[in-house]
Amino acid sequence: MKLLRHDLHTLTGVYALDALAPGAEHDRFIRHVRRCQACTAEVTGLREVATSLALAAAAEPPAAMRARVLAAVGRTRQLPPEMRSRPKPRPSGFRLSVAVAVAALVAVAVLAIAQVNTSRQLNQARRQSQAIAAVLSAPDARILAKPTTVGGVTTVVVSPARRELVISASGLPVPPGGQVYELWLIGPPRVRSAGLLPAATAGHIGPVLATGLVAGDELGVTVEPAGGTSQPTTTPIVVLPLP
Amino acid sequence: MSPREPDPSRPRLAAADPDGDQELDDLLVRVGRGDEAAFEAVYDRLAGPAYGIIRKVVRDPGQSEEVAQEVLLEVWRCAARFDPALGSAATWAMTIAHRRAIDRVRSAAAATQREQKAAAFRSPADDVAEAVEASLERERVRRCLGGLTEAQRESITLAYYGGHSYLEVATLLGTALGTIKTRIRDGLIRMRDCLGVS
Repeated sequence: MKLLRHDLHTLTGVYALDALAPGAEHDRFIRHVRRCQACTAEVTGLREVATSLALAAAAEPPAAMRARVLAAVGRTRQLPPEMRSRPKPRPSGFRLSVAVAVAALVAVAVLAIAQVNTSRQLNQARRQSQAIAAVLSAPDARILAKPTTVGGVTTVVVSPARRELVISASGLPVPPGGQVYELWLIGPPRVRSAGLLPAATAGHIGPVLATGLVAGDELGVTVEPAGGTSQPTTTPIVVLPLP
Repeated sequence: MSPREPDPSRPRLAAADPDGDQELDDLLVRVGRGDEAAFEAVYDRLAGPAYGIIRKVVRDPGQSEEVAQEVLLEVWRCAARFDPALGSAATWAMTIAHRRAIDRVRSAAAATQREQKAAAFRSPADDVAEAVEASLERERVRRCLGGLTEAQRESITLAYYGGHSYLEVATLLGTALGTIKTRIRDGLIRMRDCLGVS
């Protein structure tokens, strides 16, 4: 494993040049960097070198582009800042609220099992519930909560190490005209659908499991036509930066 | 938060114009608060570099312009997420530009041939955009690239300007993956030392 870790470390250069294509190696490197301060510092420094390479390639942009971009700016809404919590000691009340939220999620998961009728559904619900429990009990699980712009609150428990998260929501209005809430993983490389939120039961939605997180992803929820879409077509009602 | 002091703990290269660097950071922070006038100033500073690096990677002028437009709008949309403690505004924006350019060439790989044919019929006037101002940055980078071994320089430019993954670079050069990996890292470290970390 030592050799492997060394190999990962030498990827700082290709990563800084965006030459590490998406895939297993990319994901392993990202996980490694999260735990390796020296790598983070090195990537930051090498990215500045890449910036110099970019600046040295500056070219005169087409003149008409300026007016087009400025016009587009006038009708484009900005994203809110990330509510990233800097590494600092957590107040003890926060821990308690994590426990309360996790308990609520587990209760709903159990309720979901109680509501199925066939054994196939039961097995499926159990598997789902086990996967959800694994996220909730992950040692690195973090809880995030944020109100949406249409009312209600989304609660997310995320495990960066498992690259999974569990989301639940309460108090969201039923989307009009048969539309649905769709989950998105909004990453620096691209936006991926993470599935649809089921209809609310007693005002509560979920918990729903989303997998395949990549470092830098944010979680977004949009209102989409029935059946969902492959790319978001509306402004997210909530965007949660993930740790 | 404002006015901010430069963060001494943050690693960054000695810029050709350090005051301008700081000024760009401050402008982008203002853009994050919805300041359209600040965005115009940011546009004037970043449109050339963004278009330039996209053009290097994407090559087709029409497509490059499309991607550059998307990137600059993205700078507006996401400005509130720029955190000066994590890196310079230029690095933040150039990372978006370079990644978008790569996304474009990768997703369009299948359609490339068709586009190349179309590009061949485009008027040479498009290339007027090649006219560039000589910059201090360009000179510095050229000097530091000159300090690398030929093999390092080749791998770095293929990866960054060519928009190739390191696997592709290894294949193009017929060299082992591990060699390319260390070659690129060693070369970038040498560049970093040459450009000088402030």
